[in-house]
Amino acid sequence: MYRIWSSTNMAVCIAVIGKENSPKYVSCLNSDNELQFHYKVHTALDVVEEKLSLAGKSNNDVRELYLGLLHSTEEHKIFGYVTNTKIKFIVIVEATNTTLRDNEVRQMFRRLHAAYTDVVCNPFYIPGDHIVSKKFESVVKSIMSGNP
Amino acid sequence: MRSSVSVILSSPAPDTRMSHPDYDQIAQDHASILILVHHHQEGLLKSKSFIKVWDKIRRVNHTKVTDSAGVTRQVYVKYVKEYPVESNDWGDFQTHRRLLGLITVGQYESQIDLNEICRVHESLKVRYTSTLYDSRCILFGVEDDQLKTPSNFKSLPLWYTDVDSCTDLESQVSELLNSLFWVLESKRQERSREKLDRVPLLLAPFERKDIVGLDLESRTNRKKCTGRMIKHLGDLSLQAGVPHEALQHYILAIDNLRSVNDWLWLGGASEGLCAASVVVLYPGRWRTFPIQRNASLPPSPGKRRPGSIGPSSLPPGSLTPAPIAVEDAAKALSPEGILRRYQEAIQNYAKYQSAGLIETEACFKAAQIAIQQGCPLQAASFLKNVVLINLTLTEQEKIQRFLSLSELYTQMGFHRKASLCRRLAATRHVSDQNRQPDWTQCYNLMLQALDGHRLSLDPTERTSGGAAEGWPALQIHLLQQLVVAARRMGHSALATRHMTFLLQTMWHFLNPTEQRDLAKQLQKLAAECEGAPVPLVLDTRAVIPPANLTNIPKAKNFRLQDLPLHLRPQKLEKIKEDIGPFLYTPISFGSLDRKSTKSQGKMDYLWVEGDMCEVLLDVYNPLPFELKVSNMRLLASDVVFESIPSSIVLPPDSGPNSIVLAGVPKEVGDLEIQGYSTHTLGVKSNCQLRHMPHMPQPSFSVEVVPALPRMEVSLPVQKSNLQVPHADASASITSVSKSLYAGESDECQVTIINSGTQPIEMLEITAQCVLDPSQLRQVLQWSADNIQAQLPLPPGASASFTLYLHGCAEFIAPPRNDLIDGGSQPSSLLSGPSSLPSRLSSLTSSAPSRYPHHNGLSSGSFRSQISSRSGSSVGSSRLHSKVYDPSAPKVIDCQLKLRYSGGPGLEAGYCRVTSVSLSLEILPSILITSWDVLPAETSSQFYLVLDVTNKTLGELELHYADGKVMLFEGNEECRIAVPVERCPLSKLSKLYQNIELSDIEKAELDIICSDHIASLVDLKWVLPVSSRSGKASLRGLSLTADMLDIVRMSPLQWEVLLNKEVAKPLSELTCVVGQCMQLGVTVQNFLDWPLNNVALALKFFQEYQSGVRNYRLDSQLAVAGASNVLLAQLDDQGSVYHECNVVFFMPGLYKIDIQCSSQARPVSVVPSGDVGNSLPAHTWKLIPPIEITVTDP
Repeated sequence: MYRIWSSTNMAVCIAVIGKENSPKYVSCLNSDNELQFHYKVHTALDVVEEKLSLAGKSNNDVRELYLGLLHSTEEHKIFGYVTNTKIKFIVIVEATNTTLRDNEVRQMFRRLHAAYTDVVCNPFYIPGDHIVSKKFESVVKSIMSGNP
Repeated sequence: MRSSVSVILSSPAPDTRMSHPDYDQIAQDHASILILVHHHQEGLLKSKSFIKVWDKIRRVNHTKVTDSAGVTRQVYVKYVKEYPVESNDWGDFQTHRRLLGLITVGQYESQIDLNEICRVHESLKVRYTSTLYDSRCILFGVEDDQLKTPSNFKSLPLWYTDVDSCTDLESQVSELLNSLFWVLESKRQERSREKLDRVPLLLAPFERKDIVGLDLESRTNRKKCTGRMIKHLGDLSLQAGVPHEALQHYILAIDNLRSVNDWLWLGGASEGLCAASVVVLYPGRWRTFPIQRNASLPPSPGKRRPGSIGPSSLPPGSLTPAPIAVEDAAKALSPEGILRRYQEAIQNYAKYQSAGLIETEACFKAAQIAIQQGCPLQAASFLKNVVLINLTLTEQEKIQRFLSLSELYTQMGFHRKASLCRRLAATRHVSDQNRQPDWTQCYNLMLQALDGHRLSLDPTERTSGGAAEGWPALQIHLLQQLVVAARRMGHSALATRHMTFLLQTMWHFLNPTEQRDLAKQLQKLAAECEGAPVPLVLDTRAVIPPANLTNIPKAKNFRLQDLPLHLRPQKLEKIKEDIGPFLYTPISFGSLDRKSTKSQGKMDYLWVEGDMCEVLLDVYNPLPFELKVSNMRLLASDVVFESIPSSIVLPPDSGPNSIVLAGVPKEVGDLEIQGYSTHTLGVKSNCQLRHMPHMPQPSFSVEVVPALPRMEVSLPVQKSNLQVPHADASASITSVSKSLYAGESDECQVTIINSGTQPIEMLEITAQCVLDPSQLRQVLQWSADNIQAQLPLPPGASASFTLYLHGCAEFIAPPRNDLIDGGSQPSSLLSGPSSLPSRLSSLTSSAPSRYPHHNGLSSGSFRSQISSRSGSSVGSSRLHSKVYDPSAPKVIDCQLKLRYSGGPGLEAGYCRVTSVSLSLEILPSILITSWDVLPAETSSQFYLVLDVTNKTLGELELHYADGKVMLFEGNEECRIAVPVERCPLSKLSKLYQNIELSDIEKAELDIICSDHIASLVDLKWVLPVSSRSGKASLRGLSLTADMLDIVRMSPLQWEVLLNKEVAKPLSELTCVVGQCMQLGVTVQNFLDWPLNNVALALKFFQEYQSGVRNYRLDSQLAVAGASNVLLAQLDDQGSVYHECNVVFFMPGLYKIDIQCSSQARPVSVVPSGDVGNSLPAHTWKLIPPIEITVTDP
């Protein structure tokens, strides 16, 4: 918690959203205004859906999973990533973090995707349930803190 | 960055800033003439009438004008109801912001009213004087020549009597428009003729201060002036209906302004270019009538919701460029270009803090276009920073901004964003800055925000849709805000409702602490206004469906109960179902279709009208405090049902608590139990099973049959031998246990009470038992007639009948085990009287003469055939009787079933069954362990010798013959001899038809004889201690063939004469050695037919102590005359006499065995060929043999 506002933070909020657009996992660096982030992620879904519907129209077989910047405010930038099974990953980074490169954001999503895949591979996890996994949690924390 | 630039370029100018953004503006408005339609509110014109007039005016949205060059131009108009003067100030920057026309609408009744209207009109003219070209004043009122407009009124009045009669209003408005156009056109012409190097510098309102110190004559400034003027010309051209010219002007202006870095005007020119392009590209996209624009009731034309009207609310993406001329296309922007240019314009505006309004409006306009082009992402990018534009707005305006944003987001399908905006607008209504908090508005907006969060206020939709929908954390937050808003609004019922909904639908997403806190809050809210399961209708006509708490308390295992066994209705006549020949088969005969049509949830039992019925369920209290649930009752439909409320208090975190809900059906029919209702935490809930997951069935249905009477059966506590009947209260099955000694009889009074409300009109009593009915009848009897005579039994009355109980038991002991092997031996190997001793071994001492005589095979051979057969039958009967021991106490459990009915139930063919279970213990009294028959002194009688054991523990008196009494100690055995009449031939005559008896006939003979004995022998026992008495029956006494000979009358009568004197049986006959004794025998045939080939034999023998008979007496006596006589025929009823003389040589006890054997049936019946030795012979003997004591002289 001591590094919440330190500049080394890669992300301030990471969310996994299910196929039906209900949250499966939301983690914020600062739990005080968690609801705020919930709202941000929630509204970002509008853009995700729109982007998906556009991508659906183009009818490409291989869709780019990374959606890019969904929304930016004065404080935060919201990035999105959608798996082929319509699981959405949302990462919110601080707008002040100007050093963050697009490639780093992609890297975060790739790690998140891999961690999610591990969760789904667990035979005791029922797809659609809330994600309760220590391993996943630790991966998310490490992504947020920027540690590889 | 934006702010930094704006600070540099401009300082805040509070007086000139305009703070009334028009969020509804569209790009086409750049090309419209602005007219204010003023409603004279203080006057008599009602709003409704004004709306009519407004609509009429608005119908004139454009007019066609032919200009001086002969070209037809379309001139469009935009009407507003009010217009801030500050906005007018921006008229130089964008000419469409200038108010050009004014229409005042008022109604008068008197001169005073008229004067007032005119005054207002004139004052408005003054207010907008800088821009106003022309005005009209529409006056409604009675035509009166005396009424005149005041002298200072210089506008054109339009007189109408009332709103409905203003038929030429539209043409008048059209004319106004026309006149406005010409003024505008003239201005445009005027401007276009001005020399471009002489034009004045046009200024935006906030720029006026900044010009101080500027070098007006500089080259840059010149260029700026020119550029701004060209842009201005473009604006005018656009308004005047020549967009192509406007395009040219704008393009020129952009070039000019860009070179001098005049960002604000560059932005303006860019926007103008966009507007002109839109007008050129999309003609026919103007505002048309009617446009439903109501901020609080947004049109819902989202991308996913088609079917809307008006240009701005056309389905997004429907915008397609109109085919335009090639030369125009070169100038006009492409659709993508418009958005790009808008983006550019907005960026330029953003450099000026004071141009916030222009920027905001541009954003909205651009977003509108983007939406219509079907580019929601672009639209979103225009809108995303609108909120951050620094505008000093009142709270109301902020709300307006959020609502407009929300509307646009809805249009582009961003429902979440739209909801967020609505929610923010709602919070603005009650924010700290807002001096007039309006909770009602706040609540209404919150309500509209529900949609975007995938929340429906109907809890039933949620349960069916599944819990995966939506975003629980946000939903909970929103609902909590909704509760607060509803409460602050003063609508506590609503607050309670929403809190109930929150608890009900979000239960699984709340952690235990939240659950507790919310439950407590609900309790507090409900204290103000109780929640009830009825829809709430708001002032806005929105309906809030009821919310029911099914989780508090949580119910499981909802199950209907059958009536108690004794109250269950049963069909009077059971329809015999064809179940085929098998006890069980998976194939359902004839019931195949019935099973498939059987509705789920239909109970296979019945309930009775007017009788209490019960439902069991398990309830859980999930809350960490004590939960009081009151007024819990069943919800039923289809049949009038009286639910009986029950209240429970559930301990914290407890469950399952089993509870019973009861009710009384008041009608006949199919009753449907749909759920139950509760009242807890101050909320009344109707918990419908179909809305509850985990319930196996959506409802339960049970058939209610007409009312039936109720009957109670009571048995009085009688003597000590009747043990106290323990009546099981719940089952109400009376049970009685009673013990009787074998042979004892008792009575039992049964009282029946009609405890119901219907008369008992039918009562049937049947007994069910393991015993077969005939045996049961011996044990249990009652008078059916007596019962029937007491019916019908009105409610409350009682009747009684008597049960007769009899301790029916076997008194004949089976043969002892050690003798079974020998049991059949004597009868098969031995014949004659010698068959007795094996069973009557103790008899030897009293009757030594009956000792077995193994050597006497000669006599036995005569009847070996018959005896062996009868013996085998006896043996088998013994084996059979060995199975049980009559001396052991026997318990007979039987159920007395009382089927009764009455009232409407009887008509419908139903009855009830009450059972009395009767446990009868039969204790042994006396037991006959062995028996035999002895010939009596007279040939008409014989002695039945019985070994009787007293199986009771105490003394027992046995009365067995006339006046003969024997006293036994407990478990003592005694022998008694009962004189019995021999079985007369009349009973047996049938069986003598054939000499040869079949097995069946032999068995029949056996039965007849034993029945004969049973009917004659009367054994009564009395227990002196308890003065209980009973009768023993000798039924089932089995007799061997030898016994049978004694028991039954002989068909041949004998008369023996000794020395001419009749020798009586068992009399003492003496004779002297050497003396001749004359022995005469008369044989009389009592049969109905003659006997053929009768051989009469006289055999003398001596019997020794060992029971051995010695027939070889040649040395001891001599017989003169034939000892064997063969008679050809003995006629029926006829008799023969034979005589011989005997001389005894030695003293001693001699016996004479006199026997007669017949060989065949009557000759007439039997074919002659068969007559002969082949036919078996039957032998009759004189019983007892004659005994002669020979003494020495």
